[in-house]
Amino acid sequence: MQNVLAMMLQSVSNQSSRPLTADDASIWQHMANALHLSLDRILSLLIAILPGILAFLVALAVFTLIGMALSALLRLGLKMVKLDEHIAHGRGNSNWAPLTSSTAVIVRGSFWICVLLGLIIGVLAFDASYATASILPSSLIPFLAHVAEAVVLLIAGIIIARFLARSVLIGAVNEQLQYARFLSLGIKWLVLVLTAAMVLEHLQIGGNIVGMAFGILFGGIVLTLALAVGLGSRDLVSRSLGSHTEHSGESSAAPPTTSPDDSIRHF
Amino acid sequence: MATANSVSEVTNPSASHGNGLLILLAAMSPEQLESVFASLTASFPNEELLIASPDALSDALPVDSYPPFRIIAAPADTSSWTLTAADFVNAYQLAEKNEARSILMLGPESGSLSSPALRELANAVLATTDLAVPRYDLPPHAGLVNSAILYPLTRALFASRVRFPLAVDLGLSLRTAKCMADAAHRFTSINKGETPLWPVNEATLAGFTIEQFDVGAPVQPAGPDLNTILPLLTGPLFSDIKAKAAFWQRFRPLPPARPAVPRPPVPITDATADIAPMLAAFRLAYTNLHEIWSLVLPPNSLLSLKRLATTDAAVFRLPESLWARIVYDFLLAYRLRTINRGHLLGALIPLYLAWVASHFNVIASGCDPEDHIEAVAAAFETEKTYMVSRWRWPDRFNP
Repeated sequence: MQNVLAMMLQSVSNQSSRPLTADDASIWQHMANALHLSLDRILSLLIAILPGILAFLVALAVFTLIGMALSALLRLGLKMVKLDEHIAHGRGNSNWAPLTSSTAVIVRGSFWICVLLGLIIGVLAFDASYATASILPSSLIPFLAHVAEAVVLLIAGIIIARFLARSVLIGAVNEQLQYARFLSLGIKWLVLVLTAAMVLEHLQIGGNIVGMAFGILFGGIVLTLALAVGLGSRDLVSRSLGSHTEHSGESSAAPPTTSPDDSIRHF
Repeated sequence: MATANSVSEVTNPSASHGNGLLILLAAMSPEQLESVFASLTASFPNEELLIASPDALSDALPVDSYPPFRIIAAPADTSSWTLTAADFVNAYQLAEKNEARSILMLGPESGSLSSPALRELANAVLATTDLAVPRYDLPPHAGLVNSAILYPLTRALFASRVRFPLAVDLGLSLRTAKCMADAAHRFTSINKGETPLWPVNEATLAGFTIEQFDVGAPVQPAGPDLNTILPLLTGPLFSDIKAKAAFWQRFRPLPPARPAVPRPPVPITDATADIAPMLAAFRLAYTNLHEIWSLVLPPNSLLSLKRLATTDAAVFRLPESLWARIVYDFLLAYRLRTINRGHLLGALIPLYLAWVASHFNVIASGCDPEDHIEAVAAAFETEKTYMVSRWRWPDRFNP
């Protein structure tokens, strides 16, 4: 019995060991080949991109240095010709007078223009190297440009939303509207939603869904504002409008008597 | 838009006329013109006067009734409630063209001023004074922006006791007119001729002599509303203060005060009804604009405002020192552009209304309005050190 079992085990092991060893070797070989190939691809990709990156960095560094030298020269020159004094003398008390001196503005402007030029030339150099190598996907550079534009759009939208929200808030408070904050928030979110929709549309994300969602959200906010002001805050609005009408209508409705407000002359 | 246009003559142009005084009138209705002409006739009897008016070409001008007057055309002014940069440029050009020695600028309601006062203004600038300014006798509920901001700021920073720094009636010597025209040219050259100019600040800076004359109580027309007028006045004043920072940061002694004109005592009244809408505006602003105020005002001021927002109307009182610091903090924020300047000046309106409410309460308690205004101006002087410190080291001093 033991012999039979031993023979059976030996035959099974003999049958299985031979093909398994051969397969193992081929699998490892295949895996190693595949890894080598992918490593080669990555290395060749890196080698192809590296000159571009190097060109980008060199262009940026060179133009930054040029910018620094140019701004230093400009600062010296403008101080010699006393530009700030001339402008201050000729400008008067303009509301739009910059906080920093004109020399500082010109110097900083020239520096950042040089940096921007370096960035543009670096990107162009990078783009040229990518075009010759044709390794990067063709849609990456335009997509990055779109992302940059979208970021600018987003920042502009946020700034405009904050500005308009504050304008509405201060204007509404000075008009003594009780729902000033609510109105301001509504305006802010309207602009933010509009900005978000524009950004997504610009990035071509979401397709038609964005437009539909924007329409629904925008309409929803407007409807909410209208309902809140017209129905939800009916008492508040009627009180507010009533008091406003009383204030403005007193003089016209009852000319013989003058209210305290009428007798006040602020200037 | 007012511009320094060339001026056409209605009557035959000539060289120096009469006493060398040019009277420049603002645009007026026929009734106002009639009143001003009558007042001028009473002030300058049997004298030949050279009068420049934007209404010179109008048929409504009562030229025939006043033969001693030689009337020439002046460019139309843009603002009837204040003198603008363009007005000063026009005034100087007209004075030069007609070889006048001094100028008397009169506003639309100058006909209601006392006749001797017009004569005094003219005589002063014909003699040795460079700038003659009127002191109006206004009721307690009038000229409040002037009392709350313009006068205290001008007095504290420019060491001038001129009670109405932005009067529409002025007397100018020729050299003052030239100085004003030079200052105004900076605005007219960039098409901002409608900007108010601050003659007292300019004259103080130039070291000119300034005299003030009591001119009585003028008729007060309804001007622009507060939301319009406060930013229109405080913005240019803050800009002017910013431009003249090197001047006002030095200590200058205030000229001695004139003897006070006796006034009838103010009866003790209940001001609660008057101030209720103002306090409502202030409280509404406190709940909504706190975030914006916190960008401009230090925590001490905010805490005081918090207490004030819950104070009962009958005992509502904005301390003079707090008001002075508030105005100085807004001036500093204007300089630093902490927030948009339009927003900043808009956010000042409810605080100004709180001051007006407090002022009315003080008056209602029997205090003379002028005494309270003087106390406010004195507080601005006391707090000037705070202002100078913050101006010089805004970040270091920031609480």
